[in-house]
Amino acid sequence: MTELGLGVAILEHEPTGRTDPDAVDATLAASGDASAFERLYRTHVPKVYGLVRRMLSDDDVDEVAQDIFVRAWQKLGTFRGEAAFGTWLHRLAVNVILARRETLGTRRKRYVEGDMVLETVPSRRATPEMSMDFEAAMERLPEGAREVFVLHDVEGYRHEEIAEMLGLATGTSKSQLHRARMALRQHLER
Amino acid sequence: MIQDPWTDRLSEYVDGELPEWERHALESHLESCADCSLIVSDLRRVVRRARTLKNPPPSTDLWPGIAARIGAGTAKAPDVVDLSAQRRVRRRWAFSLPQLAAAGIALMTVSGGTVWFLSGSARQPVALAPVPSSPPENPAAVNVSMRPNASQSYAAAVADLERVLAEGRGKLDTTTVKIIEQNLVAIDRAIAEAQRALDADSGNLYLNTHLAETMRRKLDLLRQAAALVPVS
Repeated sequence: MTELGLGVAILEHEPTGRTDPDAVDATLAASGDASAFERLYRTHVPKVYGLVRRMLSDDDVDEVAQDIFVRAWQKLGTFRGEAAFGTWLHRLAVNVILARRETLGTRRKRYVEGDMVLETVPSRRATPEMSMDFEAAMERLPEGAREVFVLHDVEGYRHEEIAEMLGLATGTSKSQLHRARMALRQHLER
Repeated sequence: MIQDPWTDRLSEYVDGELPEWERHALESHLESCADCSLIVSDLRRVVRRARTLKNPPPSTDLWPGIAARIGAGTAKAPDVVDLSAQRRVRRRWAFSLPQLAAAGIALMTVSGGTVWFLSGSARQPVALAPVPSSPPENPAAVNVSMRPNASQSYAAAVADLERVLAEGRGKLDTTTVKIIEQNLVAIDRAIAEAQRALDADSGNLYLNTHLAETMRRKLDLLRQAAALVPVS
């Protein structure tokens, strides 16, 4: 403890460490402060929404995004601060999305049926009239390849983490990623 | 058409995941294979493109729906901070609601006065941080360490802001420092009083909410004050 002349004794802290700008609001929100939670929502909703939109691409995006924040509110007590709040929230979001997919019954065979669908992703170079932007091309990927691509290349998860989340072998995650990239390279701006 | 045996390994190469011996072998292959070199270049562009995708917010604000589902606007009684964990000494001292309401008004006045003073201080050429949603303007200087429970995390956050302020107090004029200190003392007193009142009535929703609000006000004041410290 140190007295610094500001009327309050402060705790000693480790000299280094990453700052999590959300830590205070996460703490307040965990104690029931909805205003603090709204600030967290405002900060993180674009990225969470982007994740949902890319992973699901259906009419449930708004509802699932809401579900994620409601779940986060309910689970705030389990946030221990080992990782940044944003990291914690995104992992929670992935879990909610995957659970939603299970509910919708869409997680079937998509890792083994992907090759054929990949061939149907229109090529910008082959058929310019059917050209589409990169995001639209991502939506056309088979679900398995899209999941892995979004989690790895967009969200930055490692193959080992993806394999654990999706219940895959690491090698399957790698092969799905490669197939997704090979399909998407046709849609790069030249 | 026979596919190049290296093609399926190119993403692993791009990601730096090939064992060293394979990486060397592939690099030798790339020197003589224009097709694979082009694919590697494309794969790298795909990766870069993926990492620069924009994340626009939803076209409709989802917050009202979330707020309704979490009951925002009404305190979450089951999740209100467990103040019993913070109590070191149990005392039988309660404030009446009018007393606490008056204290709250006084606290808001004094905090508001400080913010006004700080905002209007032409002697400090540093812009105020937005309140209450933004972190301090010099967030790198604040090492906020979460702790296993909310009260510890709150204490850590407060302490970090106080450290920033203490380290920078020499850069502020003495009048500013004096006012900040006076108001921190007032807020700490209000917090202590609310905690004592809760000792006598721990389930009182109003008191819990009042305490949480007062603690939040302390953080807001500290954020404002820390933002005044010029970054060296």
